[in-house]
Amino acid sequence: MAQMWITMGPQHPMTHGLWTLRVKVDGETVVDTEAELGYIHRGVEKICEARDFTQVTPYCDRLCYVSAMTWANSYIYAAEDLLEADVPERAEYIRLISAELQRLASHLMWLGAFGPDIGNLTLMTWCMRDREMFLDLLQELGGSRMHYNYPRVGGVKRDMPIGFADRVIAKTKLFEKRIDEYEMMLDESTIWLVRLQGVGYANAAEMVDAGVSGPNVRAAGVNYDVRWAHPYSVYDEVDWEPAVEKPTSVKGADCYDRYRVRMEEMRQSCRMVLDALNKIPGGMNTNYASGDEMILTKAPTRAPEGATGFSNYECTRGASQFYIQGGGEGRGKNPYRLSIRSPMFITIPFVAKTMIGYKIADIPAIMGSFDPCIGETDR
Amino acid sequence: MGTSITLEQNTSAAEACLEAINGRFEGTGITASIEHHSNAKKYAFIRLNCPPQHWLALAKWMRHELNVNYCSMVTGTHFPDGPDERGWEVAYHFLRQPIEDQKPNTYNVMVAEELKGMDIPMEFEVFMPLPQGDTPSVPSIQSIWVGADWNEKETWDLVGIRFEGHENMHRVLNPHDSPEGFHPLQKQHKLRYHDHNEMYDDPQGFMRKPADEGRVK
Repeated sequence: MAQMWITMGPQHPMTHGLWTLRVKVDGETVVDTEAELGYIHRGVEKICEARDFTQVTPYCDRLCYVSAMTWANSYIYAAEDLLEADVPERAEYIRLISAELQRLASHLMWLGAFGPDIGNLTLMTWCMRDREMFLDLLQELGGSRMHYNYPRVGGVKRDMPIGFADRVIAKTKLFEKRIDEYEMMLDESTIWLVRLQGVGYANAAEMVDAGVSGPNVRAAGVNYDVRWAHPYSVYDEVDWEPAVEKPTSVKGADCYDRYRVRMEEMRQSCRMVLDALNKIPGGMNTNYASGDEMILTKAPTRAPEGATGFSNYECTRGASQFYIQGGGEGRGKNPYRLSIRSPMFITIPFVAKTMIGYKIADIPAIMGSFDPCIGETDR
Repeated sequence: MGTSITLEQNTSAAEACLEAINGRFEGTGITASIEHHSNAKKYAFIRLNCPPQHWLALAKWMRHELNVNYCSMVTGTHFPDGPDERGWEVAYHFLRQPIEDQKPNTYNVMVAEELKGMDIPMEFEVFMPLPQGDTPSVPSIQSIWVGADWNEKETWDLVGIRFEGHENMHRVLNPHDSPEGFHPLQKQHKLRYHDHNEMYDDPQGFMRKPADEGRVK
């Protein structure tokens, strides 16, 4: 049969954003693919060269509009490496809590978008309902619903408000029960199982060689996680273990494994948040004034030429990395060069290649299970 | 309690890597050192300076002997005011991750504190200064790490560093019909600011023109 190229995207429900997947099909079977990115390239790296180190944070929030807090944190760790700033322990705990709440919100957004791909519209409404709880909590910290501009070089902008901890505990405990509800609905659903199991295999070593990271690799049976391998923040002090899923086949993990590992990761995030609130120095129901030395240390604002900062951070979709060179405009007030490594930029071309050999109807399942986000991909 | 790599493990792995690199590449112009991050945890990583002609040999050796299996990022930087021998710089970041394929229905739950030797995760930074000129180029490592492929595409697209031997090089973030030789992260392309009067007279910006209008991009 004749083969032909089909263009999926840039406007297509499978893409979860703006990009194009060109698929070569032989009947229903995918025989070749090509990914085209760059539709929402905003030149963040260039813009940041003309901003000082505090002004960069809001741009990093906007890299990924579903997990703004983790991206801002990721940048802040690189800036702290560059500027040699110390962070009070209470601020580290607050960052951990905010990042894990963001991880819950982001995974819920993923699950909510993944459901309709597979044909389960109920899931979207449920996930949006629960995501709202966590957005409300993050709003209490940062002041806005999606782009928080919350972490600062040397700490965080302001302390947790009074009563925040109680609300976190109540909502997290409620959500732990809701995860069971989701699993009851999904793991009993024939449509869900038939469309995810045996589809989109990817091997651990192959994924690492291609630069894939995070939950997608943990689904293939390895509990490698930046949070313990390149430790930052206070993850070694709170109670958690990396989510990991056994791969189904010699070919590696399928879409179902990747769904399972994210569900487990949400449980671990809940566990971490609850434990961190118990252990936070200064107590969970205290509110220090903005700029208090418990939550913010004075940090240098200029970096000399030749200084470099690097951070490796477990973002919701994998390892996000920042590399900053000091010595920019304003006698080192701005970064000379700021480089962002987005996990999805590397993953999307890899996923496009894993689709080869599957049916065209499997493409949304495979793509959705890797959790693409185009904001961070195109920067 | 969460598991995590300890400082002792990190230090011993860094020293072992440094010794191996120095043992193999001493006298070739490749210099290696142990550096420490300056943020809270102060973990060590390996920093290498490598002349471009030795890069492929070093890369292949790192991949297969040091088990550096993850190419994180490739960053190009333009230094138009720098010395003659450092007009451009390519910085590579690599990670060593103890990840192997798993048999079906098994998993590998590593306990960080029990990892030893080559299994300890390690971070590598490779700097490669390039001389002033219009055509900076380095050998491509696309054939050594698959993950370097799109990183190199991005670096060429944005900064204009050429990767010799890279197959299927094309624009990834800029439009496909961008003018040849246009790489926005080079320093001669300035960000342009709009002063108050200009904004007031033309709030929607219909009359704005790019600063480098009329010049070949």
